[in-house]
Amino acid sequence: MKESLLDVLCCPLDKHDLELEDAVGDDDVESGTLVCTECGERYPIEDGIPNLLPPDMREETPA
Amino acid sequence: MKGQEWYQADDVAAEYDDKRFSRGGQLIDFREKAAVLDALSPLEDKRVLEIACGTGRFTVMLADRGADVVGLDISAAMLQQGRTKAQAAGVADNLEFLRGDAGRLPFPDDHFDTVVAMRFFHLADDPHAFLQEMRRVSRDQIVFDTFNRYSTRSIYNWALPMGSRLYSAREVHALLEANDLSLSNVSDDFLLPYGLYRITPNVLASPLRSLDRLLGNAPFVDRLSSVSYWDATVDEPVE
Repeated sequence: MKESLLDVLCCPLDKHDLELEDAVGDDDVESGTLVCTECGERYPIEDGIPNLLPPDMREETPA
Repeated sequence: MKGQEWYQADDVAAEYDDKRFSRGGQLIDFREKAAVLDALSPLEDKRVLEIACGTGRFTVMLADRGADVVGLDISAAMLQQGRTKAQAAGVADNLEFLRGDAGRLPFPDDHFDTVVAMRFFHLADDPHAFLQEMRRVSRDQIVFDTFNRYSTRSIYNWALPMGSRLYSAREVHALLEANDLSLSNVSDDFLLPYGLYRITPNVLASPLRSLDRLLGNAPFVDRLSSVSYWDATVDEPVE
């Protein structure tokens, strides 16, 4: 995921901005966490692909 | 969502393109890509979101033609296939993949010029809700396909791993209207169902397709086509 995608992405639940934490990789983020600035929900970046599945779908959906 | 687990299996994702789009399936791939290109061109600098992008068949093509593309899917395994494909095609710069729920998109209103969903609505348990969400993030255009109720698709539907939802033209028109979308174009194709093409060897696939087109052009018969490609425009809000 390119860091510039952050300008576009928002929280799937409340559509507020996301912040990138613990980023590994430079322009191309390989892993890290996207955190909603409003509700605090955390979305992992796995193998370069952000996982923005809402928490209720994450559990029932295997990786 | 139908097929949710099936599409997430690593072996299904790895074999997906080969199983679906080799042999006679190449013709389906070709036709679907033509439908998407017809609807979306010109692509230069267009912001496109593809829902249920799977292994990136369309996302990679669109990025290659200059669009700024985001591909969303529920399956990490399918997306990794797409990522590999994008890197091999050298289009990774204007293409992003992400995992997400088509019913709750992680984008602000009106962000994209066009939202595309191919091979998606036949798996949708609540088509209205999904279309509404696609419309929310699209400024201008929505493009999708449906498998048709009154067609040869009905006959072989039972053989599919998760069944699929079939639509009549009337249902699609109602869905568009309910979401303030105007139909700009629709084309119907494949009198013979996809499954038949998939099992047909290359040498016979072209003659089969010619026969399909010939029959499909006959008056009244085109109504029986198994697939429709829909191209709709977002209505301007009334001031």
